[in-house]
Amino acid sequence: MRNMRWSGGLAVAGLLLAGCGGGPGGGGGKISNDKIVLAVLNDQSGIYADTSGRRSVEAVKMAVADFKAKYGDKAVTDKIEVLSADHQNKPEIANSKAQELYDRQHADVILDVPTSSAAFAVATTAKNKKKVFIDVGAASTELEGKQCNKYTFHYGYNSYMLAHSTGAEVTKDGGKSWYIVYPDYAFGQDMQKTFSTAIKEAGGTVVKTDPTPFPNDNFSTFLLKAPGLNPKPKVLGTMHAGGDLVNLVKQYNEYKLRDKGVDLAVGLLVISDIHSLGPDALAGTRYTDMWYWNLDGTARTWADKFQAKAGVRPTSNMAGNYSAALQYLEAVQRGGSDKSDEVVKQLEGHKFDDVFARHATIRAKDHLLLHDAYLGQVKPASEVKEPWDYVKVLKTIPAAEAFQPQPDPSCSL
Amino acid sequence: MILSRLARSGGRSGPLLLAIGLVAALALPWMIYPPVALDIACWALFAAAVDLLLGFTGLLSFGHAAFWGGSAYCTGLIALHSGLPFPVAIVGGAAFAALLAVPIGYLSVRLTGIYFAMVTLAFAQMVYFIANQWRDVTGGENGLQGIPRELFGVDLSEPFYFYYAGLPFVLAGLFAAWRIVRSPFGRVLVSIRDNPARTRALGYPVDRYKLLAFVLSAGLSGLAGGLFAIGHGFASLEGVYWTTSGQAVMMVILGGIGTLWGGTIGAALVVQLQDYLATAGFQETGIVTGLIFIVIVLLFRRGIWGTARHLLDVRGRAASSGDTAPEPKEAVDTPA
Amino acid sequence: MLQQAFNGLVGGAFYALLALGLAVIFGMLGVVNLSHGAFYMLGAFGAFIALDSFGLNFWLSLVLVPPLLGLAGVVLERLFVRRLTPLDPLYNFLFTFGLALILQDLVKRQYGVNSQQYPRPSQLDGTVDLGLFTYPAYQVFVLGVSALTCLAVWLVLTRSRVGMIVRAATERPELTRALGIDVGRWVTPVFGFGIALAAFAGVLAAPMRAVNPLMGSDLIITVFAVVVIGGLGSVFGSVAAGFAVGLVSALGNLYIPSLSQTLVFILMAAVLLWRPAGLFGREEAFR
Repeated sequence: MRNMRWSGGLAVAGLLLAGCGGGPGGGGGKISNDKIVLAVLNDQSGIYADTSGRRSVEAVKMAVADFKAKYGDKAVTDKIEVLSADHQNKPEIANSKAQELYDRQHADVILDVPTSSAAFAVATTAKNKKKVFIDVGAASTELEGKQCNKYTFHYGYNSYMLAHSTGAEVTKDGGKSWYIVYPDYAFGQDMQKTFSTAIKEAGGTVVKTDPTPFPNDNFSTFLLKAPGLNPKPKVLGTMHAGGDLVNLVKQYNEYKLRDKGVDLAVGLLVISDIHSLGPDALAGTRYTDMWYWNLDGTARTWADKFQAKAGVRPTSNMAGNYSAALQYLEAVQRGGSDKSDEVVKQLEGHKFDDVFARHATIRAKDHLLLHDAYLGQVKPASEVKEPWDYVKVLKTIPAAEAFQPQPDPSCSL
Repeated sequence: MILSRLARSGGRSGPLLLAIGLVAALALPWMIYPPVALDIACWALFAAAVDLLLGFTGLLSFGHAAFWGGSAYCTGLIALHSGLPFPVAIVGGAAFAALLAVPIGYLSVRLTGIYFAMVTLAFAQMVYFIANQWRDVTGGENGLQGIPRELFGVDLSEPFYFYYAGLPFVLAGLFAAWRIVRSPFGRVLVSIRDNPARTRALGYPVDRYKLLAFVLSAGLSGLAGGLFAIGHGFASLEGVYWTTSGQAVMMVILGGIGTLWGGTIGAALVVQLQDYLATAGFQETGIVTGLIFIVIVLLFRRGIWGTARHLLDVRGRAASSGDTAPEPKEAVDTPA
Repeated sequence: MLQQAFNGLVGGAFYALLALGLAVIFGMLGVVNLSHGAFYMLGAFGAFIALDSFGLNFWLSLVLVPPLLGLAGVVLERLFVRRLTPLDPLYNFLFTFGLALILQDLVKRQYGVNSQQYPRPSQLDGTVDLGLFTYPAYQVFVLGVSALTCLAVWLVLTRSRVGMIVRAATERPELTRALGIDVGRWVTPVFGFGIALAAFAGVLAAPMRAVNPLMGSDLIITVFAVVVIGGLGSVFGSVAAGFAVGLVSALGNLYIPSLSQTLVFILMAAVLLWRPAGLFGREEAFR
């Protein structure tokens, strides 16, 4: 009996020793108002590390520098800090870190947070702590629906935007019949539903939809099946991302489906995916993005500045983080305070134009950023003039059409 | 028997150390960030539950995520939809985990060694796929969000206070694990680990004992997982993914297999390390974790707790042999 | 339908090659090599690096990369694995798990998480007419080469003296030692050979699959299921189970796509409950 108690005592003592990292201090802390703290919480070591990750932190730092340069002495404060944390794609870590950033590090706003389960966890924390959270990286429309709250903003893109732009535009352009394959998890399931709706609204038909295992490296079954479906689909719509997308496209080309009259449309394509596959593998593929670095002069100038700092061309996520940070700081400047309620008031309904967001409005009713989206087409290698110049922008989809026309009724702020 | 020797050498200070341990558990949220403190407490119980099976029954389960995560979902659903106070939800989650363990355990305990590890992994993966597909109930990849954290109208959303509301569950769980290990039943388990054939020959229904140990271990894992879900306010797929099982095993090995309390240290270290790596600006978390595994396996197979105990033991008696047997092969008392 | 079955076999070819390596390593050393997926990934990256930095084409990579990584496996066995083999298999299980994490992150550190470009060899860019249907030439090649490799390994194991020793040691380790056969000196080469097989599969995968640091860890859990179905340590069983699982998952994708993820694990649980040692495993493994 005794012996185990002995052990138990030692164990907890060891736990105590191991716990010495933190230092004393109870629950909750004060927010110092003499400085603004922006925190980027995202995936810096996992599958989204190259899409956003540490380079988004760099983008946020650029926003701070630009803000300071713009206002100089007139800025509300010249003490602006940028923090970052890696949530490793684990919602639990995102949750603990978000609390810690708000409480201990006095973060006034958390930015980015890809992976929807992590984003929802952080949104709940933001609501409890009454602190601002601007999500750039997650695609779920639930952020401005069931999970919405007063302090959470959704910035950049969502599954509705991707589906209604690509799905509707490709259908109108003659791709009337679709075969949709999607990875079998929440994001893929949502994308499949919104794409199907958008295609039908645009007058097309969805011949068949198939879930695929996730992750998966062999898509042959679906690719072999595609040309044999009745009626034969004109477009293969894939909702895959990252490594799965690369696998699927490699195999799509192997089966020469394009020559068999089945075009490819991609739900979510990141410029680094094109880089991975080489433009020829995707040439002709249409997709929607929230931004493109070579969109116009403004975007390009910024992309050049970014490349000088970070060494690569920015993805749209990185630009989105830049814009979100900048608009947050502008809101603080306008309201003259970093108090969350004041900042939220300043952000709600705000109309603006910046490097990233064009014709932009932050809708007051659901905190969704409405802005122009772009239908892009991947160029063949022969037309690529410089590194990373992979995309031709076919069409700008106006802000009013790109996102949900009405706020989700299940959202009450 | 190492433990009793250790106890004999430090017997008088036993109650004192227990007191220190309790004080430490109580003081934890003052010393480190409270949500992290709660994570440590939950993982400590989970690790103890895994050790109950690994260290005392000789069964390496690579599928305990099913019980931790399964209970997290069940606890969350009870708390979300029934409005019952959270302790009821957690107990319900633990009961669900134990129940889930009956069929899985029934089919798995017939196997040993790596086969047991593989088949438990397979079952856990099935639970994972079900959780992923059954989105209406679990939220799929988005997770089950918005689990309330209140007790009879008292809002416990402040993690500092919630730690104290949750701590009794962890302590009760650890106490239960300790009782199990010290009971005649626990001694039979150890003898199964050391020599199943002999135990069977002595007339014990080995498989039934193993099954009971598996179910108890699952129940305790469920207790920890349920508390974890309430503490975070959500349950996610991460909880039923195989890496969660791996992490619990890692904590046990780090602390020392078959020490029961070692997992507590392992949990404290791993959770703190993860927390540190999140802001360390070091992207290669796998390198750090991998190195820890390798160093432990190559140099400190007894784990931290086991090594400390061994050193005390060596000091207590002259080191008798250079025995580096990794598993604590304790003498087994003949069951009464 | 026939075409789908054929495609399942192509997928199964990778499982078979990986499972074969795992099985000989397990049989010879009693080690469950969790870093097997990492070596598959390194094989693909080896091909990529050879092309990207040294301009070596696919064919040279196919010949050069597996032996090089096999050599790395030999060093690994000599330095570390060997120390742990006399202990509980758990320790090598954990050691190789840690190793896999490190290898994966080292590659990630250098090349990032995004996939790398690797083109199909131009000779195999087209399609082949197989009589009943046409099929991408590269996939036909993959199936042919891996089937031949498995056959060659099988012939070596059954027809040569060395092979017999290895196979005996793999499938009946206690008995072989009891007969006074010196198994020890074959341990290291077999480990290296198993690793080389994984790397070979990796090189084969580079032109048709995403080459990224996570490609191995995504695959390895399934391969474990394959080996368990075939029977740990059974050379023939692992190959047969590899092709069978490829077939089953392809047909699963075709008829019940939402369940296909779980199918392999259901199959594995069922096999284990029916024959605890796997389809072709030896019963001693089951105590």
